[in-house]
Amino acid sequence: MELEALQAALPDIQRLGANLVAICPELEKYGRSVHRRLTLSFDVLSDRGLQIASQFGLAFELPDYLKTVYAQFGSKLDEFNGENAYRLPMPARYVIDTRSVIRSADVSPDYTVRPEPSETVRTLQELAKGKA
Amino acid sequence: MSLQQNLDDFKAKFESGGPPYNAPKSIIEIFHRATDELRRSGLAERALKTGDRAPAFTLNNQDGNLISSADLLAKGPLVITFFRGHW
Repeated sequence: MELEALQAALPDIQRLGANLVAICPELEKYGRSVHRRLTLSFDVLSDRGLQIASQFGLAFELPDYLKTVYAQFGSKLDEFNGENAYRLPMPARYVIDTRSVIRSADVSPDYTVRPEPSETVRTLQELAKGKA
Repeated sequence: MSLQQNLDDFKAKFESGGPPYNAPKSIIEIFHRATDELRRSGLAERALKTGDRAPAFTLNNQDGNLISSADLLAKGPLVITFFRGHW
């Protein structure tokens, strides 16, 4: 849902001179399937071993009771992510300026809560204004 | 409709226990417990935040091409969304 909403906001993001990428712990082939299914025109990057998610402080290991449920529902994170550990990133959206400074950060421990793409566009508008 | 409204609608449907998801109450409770534990762990508060320096990265995209954050940031600001997976 979030990726589709960001795809819809992509023209606004690009008009402001910015780029958008999605980062996910899964192997490339799964990223490819999302990319095709949702007809995304931004890149889906494969973060093997959650290396980048860990650097952002987003990676966590699922408790055992949740692993069991995931397995029941066919979410085989070990296969999808190419590692034995059942780890995931907390959903998060960042805006980074050209000096690599984070200008907005939305990190959600609740996976049913996400910021609106319009908020991200607003941050980019402020960045563009600051530069002018 | 806003993204959050869509998410709220989905959550309400899922947690109703009815079709098409037919989620058992026990499963819904497990999801709630896990989210509460993650929230209480304070992990989100320790993640990188506004004003911090973003780590550089080079990762494969869906077609197997290497994409570097430095190349993207040379062109302009960068929006990154972290998501869990295709499932």
